[in-house]
This record gives sequence, C-alpha cells and structure tokens, in this order.
Amino acid sequence: MDVVLRAAFVFAFLFVLMRVIGRRELSSLEPFDLIVLIVLGDLVQQGVTQDDYSITGVVLAIGTIAALQVGVSYANFRFPRLRPLLDGEPIVIVQDGTPIDRNLRRERLTLDDLAEQARLQNIGSLDEVAWAVMETSGQISFVKKSGS
Amino acid sequence: MADVPDRIVVKRHRDLDGRGHRIWYRRGVLSLLVAFLVLGLANVFGQRPSGVAAAADVATLELYAPSRLRGGLLYEARFTISAHRDVKNALLQLSPGWNEGQTMNTIEPSPLGEASRDGDLLFTLGHIPAGESYRLFVQFQVNPTNVGRRRADVTLYDGATKLAHIDRTLTFFP
Repeated sequence: MDVVLRAAFVFAFLFVLMRVIGRRELSSLEPFDLIVLIVLGDLVQQGVTQDDYSITGVVLAIGTIAALQVGVSYANFRFPRLRPLLDGEPIVIVQDGTPIDRNLRRERLTLDDLAEQARLQNIGSLDEVAWAVMETSGQISFVKKSGS
Repeated sequence: MADVPDRIVVKRHRDLDGRGHRIWYRRGVLSLLVAFLVLGLANVFGQRPSGVAAAADVATLELYAPSRLRGGLLYEARFTISAHRDVKNALLQLSPGWNEGQTMNTIEPSPLGEASRDGDLLFTLGHIPAGESYRLFVQFQVNPTNVGRRRADVTLYDGATKLAHIDRTLTFFP
C-alpha cells in the first residue's frame, strides 16, 4: 500500500509542479535540462520505492503512475471544463508581426527567444508572422502572413 | 488583419479574458513550494542533531541526536554520562520509540548487558568512576514506513536508583 500512496503523491506533486513552473521550461531540452531530468528521475525513484527492490514494488509504482496518467488524460478528454486546469490553454504572443509584451512577460519569453524560435521554423523576421501561439506543450507555433 | 487560427479565441487567448488571475495561482503554489524549502533549511524536517541534558548530583546525562527524521535516514545518537560521584552500576533505559520502526545498526562500546524492563530497552553499562565520562554511540536507520511521533525518553539509573531522565519525542516524516 505504501508504494502506491508514495507513487500517487509523487505523481500529484510532479503534475502540480509541471503546471506551475511554466511552459517555457517544459519546451526546451538543453543539455542541462536533460541532466536535471535524469537527476529528477533518480530522486523520484528513491522517494517512491526506497529500499524496495522487488518486482512487485516496481509493478505497483509504475502501475500507479500509469493509471493516474491515463486518468488525467481521460478527465482532460471527457470534461472540457477541466482542460484549462489540467492541460492549460494556448496563449497568443505575436499578432500581425507585433509581439504582445504582456503575454511574453507572462511566459518569461524575451524577443530573442521568440526570434530564435522563428528562425528554427525558417522565419527570418517577425514581420512575416501573422500569429505566433505558445501551445500548451510549451512549443511556439507560427502562422505566416499570406504571401510571406 | 490575418485570419485567426482555428480554435483560437482572441479575447481568451490574446487578451487573456478570464485568465488574468491564473498567474496568481501559479505564483501562490510556487510561494508555497519556496516556503516548504525554507522550512527544510530551518531543520523543520530534520535531521540536524541537537543536545539535551539532565543533571543530577551523582551524574549528568547528555543526549546528542536529531529529534526530527525522515524515512531511510541513517543517524547517530550519542549518550554521555558524566559521573560526579561513583556510579557503581550504570543502567541506561530507552523508551520503545528508539527501536520501533528503526534499525539499530551498531552500539559502541557494547554494553555489558541488554535486557527489557517493562517494555523498555535496558543497557547495563557498569561502573563509572567519579570524575569520568562514559560515552555510548548508537547508530540507527529509520525504516521507510515509519511515520509519526514516538516517545524516546532516556533514563539513567545506578542500580535501582533513578539518577536522571530526559523527555524526548522523535518525529518521523515520510
């Protein structure tokens, strides 16, 4: 029972943490982020299974996290009102080539970050952008102006 | 103005209509997290050791150990008995909380004897001459499922005579 409760608590904690740290942190996977992820995984394992080296313990821990993940996913699909809470909502950050400062600040994005993301999508200037939207995954999608 | 992408609602996704307050939820949760970390730094969740003493005419009993612990932690409890007068047969009595849900890894030096007295653990330490100290080191590990508070009193006897007593509670965090 203990392993299931620990796994459920860790899942809930990580879920809330991922929702509050902001999308910007989630979208990038720089070398340092990768190291942090590995360290995080190790710390989580210690907290959940501790000194339990049994297959039963592993199945219980992974099963709990998988079941909760499916539960959240189903709730997200089934109850639209929960979607903003569970999944977040997209946010418009550029309209007609003009960055929306308030929304950039909210997501802790600089113009340099925005320009970099645009370049990665073969967009040389924000003037070519009709809309840029930061998606719930943290990635930025660009819709070009017609004719650009 | 270019056409708005599908499923994007300008008022909600650009002007953040009805979403403005959400940033404060995020900041609130982050503040709680920071507060939790500060409490951790302040030793609220252990395991920094602290000292406590009980003095009597015959001897002083000192305990140096953490009182707040977390599952799986290894720690040391140091019991020091300073004899002001001859203690002919020192006995150290520990509440069951010292052993409940904990593994006692080592006791150094080994006591002359171990027994149970009314459910408590009793170590026979033997003779401590006046002016000398006896230091007992006990290494513990907290079992991961041990959560809550437990009495961990320590009492020093000389034979049947009670010399000193320390009231203590151990708190175990999950």
